Amino acid sequence: MNLSEELTIAMSPHGLFGFKIFGMEIFVTDTIFLMWIIMAIMIILAMLLTRNLKLVPDGKQNAAEAFVEFMQKFSKDNMGHHSKHFVPYLGTLVLFLAVSNTISIFNILPVGSLMKTITGNEAFGELVLRPPTKDINLTVILALISIILVIFSSIRFKGVKGWLQYHVEPSVILLPFKIMDYFVRTLSLSMRLFGNILGSFILMELVFAVMPAFVPAVFSIYFDLFDGFLQAYVFVFLTSLYIGEAIE
Amino acid sequence: METGLFAIAAGIAVLTGFGAGIGIGIATSRAAEGVSRQPEAAGKITTITLIGSVLAEATAIYGLVVALIILFVKWPA
Repeated sequence: MNLSEELTIAMSPHGLFGFKIFGMEIFVTDTIFLMWIIMAIMIILAMLLTRNLKLVPDGKQNAAEAFVEFMQKFSKDNMGHHSKHFVPYLGTLVLFLAVSNTISIFNILPVGSLMKTITGNEAFGELVLRPPTKDINLTVILALISIILVIFSSIRFKGVKGWLQYHVEPSVILLPFKIMDYFVRTLSLSMRLFGNILGSFILMELVFAVMPAFVPAVFSIYFDLFDGFLQAYVFVFLTSLYIGEAIE
Repeated sequence: METGLFAIAAGIAVLTGFGAGIGIGIATSRAAEGVSRQPEAAGKITTITLIGSVLAEATAIYGLVVALIILFVKWPA
């Protein structure tokens, strides 16, 4: 098998197991399964960090409080005084994206073979810890959630009339552009995340193919860690920018 | 058969990175100038530079996505 075929297989999502619902066969792909793993890690971490909270914070509580305060300040800077409604969504999003973009540094853990021995399902043998955000289906859904949140928060804080008014301000000529804006924003949000993560993933695979030892570790600091965190921040930043523009 | 032509097409699509590189370079150089003139505005300048760089970078990413589509989608012969 040559490199190009290997890359094609690594890039495309493959089904792990399926079930029938309303006569339709639904496949759980490795993207969804990795999301479950990430969700489990995040829920366990959140429970550990917020267990027996004290008035005077110590160690782990300090870390949790620092993150929450950072998100509150970040939202306030970008969205003004309605910002407190959006802190939970943005915080969840940035944590999820940060973990999922950088999960490939834990690639050494044998999750696939472990799941194979537990469940006896052959398909799990193919499961490797790769960023689920390199699957375009996930990034499109995340972008759609963000854009729908923008529309709903605009209606919630300005009323239906104010939301409709926004499309014809300052002139009616802008109406088609403002409507087009929703599609362009969805496209650019999803494509940016997908393209960056997939690009760095392919680059890392190529580096691995050329030199399997030491060199990938150096590149991984930039392509996995820095780029992953930056893209998570950028996605949340743009979402908050759009929301701030819609509700002001 | 014509895989070579597909590879060349993908290479041309990735040339979008050229413009993105120039754009981000200009944005960053101006940001550095701004910070050296007014160090107290560094926080705001960083944010604006980040937005600008990200928007400029989008073109390069579109090029990459188009190149990947050219390379990996099975085109009818």
